[in-house]
Amino acid sequence: MASALRRREAVQWVRRRLLERQLHDGASLRISALALRLGLLRYQSPRDEDDWQHRIAELQDELHAVLQELRAVSAQIYPPLLDQAGLGPALRELVDQSGADVEIVAGTDRFGPVAEGAAYFAVAECLAAQPAGGRAVRRVTIERAEQDLLLTAIGVGAEQVGLMLDQAYPLGGTVNLFEGDTPDSGTITVRIPCE
Amino acid sequence: MRVALAEDGALFREGLLMLLRAAGHEIVGAVGGGDELVALLATEQADVAILDIRMPPEPDGGLTTAERLRASHPKMGLLFLSHYAETHYLMRILEIGTDSIGYRLKEKVGSVDVLTDTLNRIHDGEIVIEPVLAKRLVERPRGDKKDVVASLSEREMDVLRLMAEGRSNNGIAAQLFVTPKAVEKHIANIFGKLGLHTDTSEHHRRVLAVLTYLRSQRTEG
Repeated sequence: MASALRRREAVQWVRRRLLERQLHDGASLRISALALRLGLLRYQSPRDEDDWQHRIAELQDELHAVLQELRAVSAQIYPPLLDQAGLGPALRELVDQSGADVEIVAGTDRFGPVAEGAAYFAVAECLAAQPAGGRAVRRVTIERAEQDLLLTAIGVGAEQVGLMLDQAYPLGGTVNLFEGDTPDSGTITVRIPCE
Repeated sequence: MRVALAEDGALFREGLLMLLRAAGHEIVGAVGGGDELVALLATEQADVAILDIRMPPEPDGGLTTAERLRASHPKMGLLFLSHYAETHYLMRILEIGTDSIGYRLKEKVGSVDVLTDTLNRIHDGEIVIEPVLAKRLVERPRGDKKDVVASLSEREMDVLRLMAEGRSNNGIAAQLFVTPKAVEKHIANIFGKLGLHTDTSEHHRRVLAVLTYLRSQRTEG
């Protein structure tokens, strides 16, 4: 378990570095470029009305791109929809955007930002780690079991246990694997205590 | 057009006010939350109310306020502005109403032309959906709808995308430089391939049918 905790810590630091890199190579770079283009606009006055309109539209498109990149970074820190609407809508959006064919079964129950965050990122990590054409999560169910959040993922195997454990263990949660009859029919259950 | 505005971010609110005035609209009031907007519209008349989705009363005051306004002022248009284009919010908005309603990204209404076009379409009774979101819905349909959508021709995909933006036949025809008759034919083909049966003259029901189709999964939890 100590090694699991250490691995999770390592994952957290890798994640921080990736986010920093994403901000540096994405939004920051685009904003720097925008500053230059505004400088150019001051130096070279537009040829005519069309040119002027075109150049302003380009700057606005660029601003939209910056915002989209910032939204992508925010979503990796804590998805706004998870906070606003809960696990069901947030996981469905995640699945839609990943293009994976996963069924999400979740009610409107809320479990607090910590347990919801852990459950969300457990699923997100599983989807991200899915080998193309390999075994894939088919269904994720979210429900309440006594005081805990109970996450059930169907269509998974032993290789996903570690990813789930990384999220659940630090919160006092548990992970169980039930191997199915066929390689892609395994089930993982994750229990995460709610605050 | 007479416009009322509710947005809790003062910087964006002031910017939007300047743009609305520049576009020649009359501002009947600008407030920082949903309850204030309801109070304002109890005495003032507006053609369209612009609402931030994420504002007081928390967590999504724009939506709860809009439900109240639709009940008390059924003819008034509603334009939702958000920092996020999410299908979850779109579906909640379409539960509030499917006519004279719109959902756009905040930074995408940043020109007089786009802002006025959006407000006019809402005032004319149309649904206006952020093109970024419509594009995502059409290009990434739910799992079991992928094959059907993939069977559409390139031109049919263009039409479907514009339909998902809430555009009318004439609007789609103008965007694609074809006749409204040609658009009707494409739409009939699309509905045939998707297995949808709907009265194609009924614009709002058609948009709703398309969006529900793209969004639905085998079982919804």
